Amino acid sequence: MTDSSLRIENLSFRYRSRADLALRSISFEAAAGQVLLIAGASGCGKTTLIRCINGLIPNSYKGEIQGGIWVQGKPIQGLSLARISQMVGTVLQDPERQILGTRVINEVAFGLENLHLSREEILSRVDEALTRLNILHLKDRETFHLSGGEKQKVAIAGVLAMRPLVLLLDEPLASLDPASAQETLQMVRRLADDGMTVLMVEHRVEDVLNIHPETAMFLDEGEIRYYGPTAGLYRAVDYHRIKLPAPLILERAVKDPVPEPLTRQLEAAKAGIPNQTLVRFEGVRFGYEENQTVLAGINLEIRRGDIIAVLGPNGAGKTTLVKHAIGLLKPKAGRVLVDGRDTHQISVAEVAHTLGYVFQSPSHMLFAETVRAELAFGPTNLKHPPEEIEKDVREAIRIVHLEGFEENPPLALSFGQQKRVSIAAILAMRSRILVMDEPTAGQDYKNYMEFMDAILKLPGFEAVLFITHDIDLAVIYANRVILVNHGQVVRDGTPEEVLKDLAYLEENRLVPTSLLKTNLELYAHTRSFQRAEDLAHLGVLQNRSDRYQNSTLQ
Amino acid sequence: MLVTWRYRPRKSIIQSFDPRAWIIFFGCYLASTLLFWDLRYLSFFLLLALIVLFTSGIRWKEIRKAMLFIGGFILFFSFLTFLTGRGGMELYAEEHVLRELKASFHILGWQPSLLISAEKTMFSISMLARVFSIAVMTILIPYSLNPALYGVTFRGLGLPDKIAYAMDLTMRFIPTFGRDFTLTMDAQRARGYELEKISGGLAAQVRKLAPLVVPVTIHAIAGSEDIIDAMDLRAFGIGPRTWLIKLTYKPRDYFLIGFGILLLVISIAFSLWGWGKFWVPAGLLALAGA
Repeated sequence: MTDSSLRIENLSFRYRSRADLALRSISFEAAAGQVLLIAGASGCGKTTLIRCINGLIPNSYKGEIQGGIWVQGKPIQGLSLARISQMVGTVLQDPERQILGTRVINEVAFGLENLHLSREEILSRVDEALTRLNILHLKDRETFHLSGGEKQKVAIAGVLAMRPLVLLLDEPLASLDPASAQETLQMVRRLADDGMTVLMVEHRVEDVLNIHPETAMFLDEGEIRYYGPTAGLYRAVDYHRIKLPAPLILERAVKDPVPEPLTRQLEAAKAGIPNQTLVRFEGVRFGYEENQTVLAGINLEIRRGDIIAVLGPNGAGKTTLVKHAIGLLKPKAGRVLVDGRDTHQISVAEVAHTLGYVFQSPSHMLFAETVRAELAFGPTNLKHPPEEIEKDVREAIRIVHLEGFEENPPLALSFGQQKRVSIAAILAMRSRILVMDEPTAGQDYKNYMEFMDAILKLPGFEAVLFITHDIDLAVIYANRVILVNHGQVVRDGTPEEVLKDLAYLEENRLVPTSLLKTNLELYAHTRSFQRAEDLAHLGVLQNRSDRYQNSTLQ
Repeated sequence: MLVTWRYRPRKSIIQSFDPRAWIIFFGCYLASTLLFWDLRYLSFFLLLALIVLFTSGIRWKEIRKAMLFIGGFILFFSFLTFLTGRGGMELYAEEHVLRELKASFHILGWQPSLLISAEKTMFSISMLARVFSIAVMTILIPYSLNPALYGVTFRGLGLPDKIAYAMDLTMRFIPTFGRDFTLTMDAQRARGYELEKISGGLAAQVRKLAPLVVPVTIHAIAGSEDIIDAMDLRAFGIGPRTWLIKLTYKPRDYFLIGFGILLLVISIAFSLWGWGKFWVPAGLLALAGA
């Protein structure tokens, strides 16, 4: 027990503004040189636990705390944030929210400057931290212009430079493309191997398993439901709620009833002219600044019946591309036609009748006093009749599972719920084409699988397009995959065509998932990509699941 | 994340000085300009501002938006001053009428009229020169000061650590606010919201701005909370702080500070002697028949 660098006993916490406990009798230890994976759905208490360990609770967030926390045998209760921050380093979910310095060197030096170290000491520690993370070349760059993955590494370097004993990572992969996520994970593994204690809170359990965390914990409703060796986690969690590697789901799903089949055909697309072009990009070029190329000649057609997944690394131009579809950005050369009309000639509001666009960040659009009013805003602007608006709002609320929240202020909801409100707000507009920028970011697995299902079953959409970093979403839901890199469409085809070339995916910073690999392996039998639950019920598999399990877990 | 102004290193007069020296000079310039109402004196300050502007190495394209916005704003208010004569009453006691324009119609028995006097005209021109000089000098700062040096500059000017860093964050908060505003505007336009089509009474119009104002405000508040957490988590404010970057004055910086202080002292002396007060050219008065 004495060699644990972090020990927590009977920790309970209740926020001052809440009636119920956010954490209940949490006890665990983490040893130096080990990675502890903390999994759980949103609202399970993960973030509260992190705040208790790094001292934001009770120093910044007030409430009732019970139990004790020890770092290398010393209790941290009563210590100032500054003292704790020298023992416990925290990397927040979004590096955008953590980075303060304008240049990398300033950012990494920030904590050291606050500790009043000498300039020489600071410089040498900055170099040390950057070297350790293999990002010394970024030292003089401006933080604002770094890619998402680079930002995350710089944020970690800023914490590392303070030489903490314990490193807390709160969903560090959430905003990263698959390759950047893997690089970050490998880096974290090295830090642990060098003797640091690492606690990683993460939704993307499958990704974290690649770095073999020694122990794992499953939190639910503020309580520990599982704590022990990582291998045991698989049995402790419900595969519908926490995403497990495909072979494990196969093995478990066999015993469950056959799931409801998925549809990859849009209802509205069945009527009307098949393959009719709805949106057309013709030689679209764009840059935010002069002499900058973000889109380098995009030719693309979105056709009736398409369910398109847009994949590509951070900074590839995906968001810029889809913002052209609704006319928020206008091409510098070439043109975009929506329903045959050039976006140069029509207003965004006019395009909004045809094309609904869900932004990446919900916090930039929520304003109304109630969820209901928020959802009615779009259709009211579009002058839909009141009785229709009421019906569409009700339907949208049902799809994103926000029944019972109709009269709540959207701004008081959790991030995951806000994201769903932002999606529902567009669904209620009843546009014919739906475009979503990272619809699943910050969402629980169960939640996003359910609303993706529900959206595709909606009768009104003639085409759906979503940007994602999650290859599995493309595998499961898309009937067409577009791969974007360096401002160009580098691949465009069915999921099977685009995703079968694993080497090419890796060149484009996408990392094949276990579900993709399993699907490719079984393609000869299935002739189409499927969910792990569906694959489990293919006769051909029943006797092979052991083999899969062994091959993936090794 | 805090966005920075569009700073670029350039070969220019303004960037050849230490930022602290420039801020001191800027302060002296500002205070000096405000001491005068005489267009002849103000022309000197305007000239100074234009010299700095034209040697700043900033291309018209880069500051076009800012200049047009602020320029338009100043012109509009100067014109308003010209029409109403407001604000000038304390500077001149009597007015010499150049011309009186009367409308050819009556509204409820009131005949709109415009009295153009030598004083009103000169007052609005002087005000234009004064405000424009200050605006030009101020616009140049975000384009010319390296954002990485904001904090250490304010620290170097004698502000305490915490306040210097707060100033640093504040400077960067303004462009961040602008970026959030654009994002929100885009998100609402995608929901069919059109700012141009807002109608109704004043209260109704303000209410219809909620889709823009609320998200931007909430974002600003949430953003500041994140920043505070991030700072707390890295031991900010526990005691004296090291500033990694060290600024050193060069001889030319001392010269600039000296020039600034001299400018201010002379300006104060002039204004104590009563020079540089509101001035109306004799020719203009003659035109008014005085």
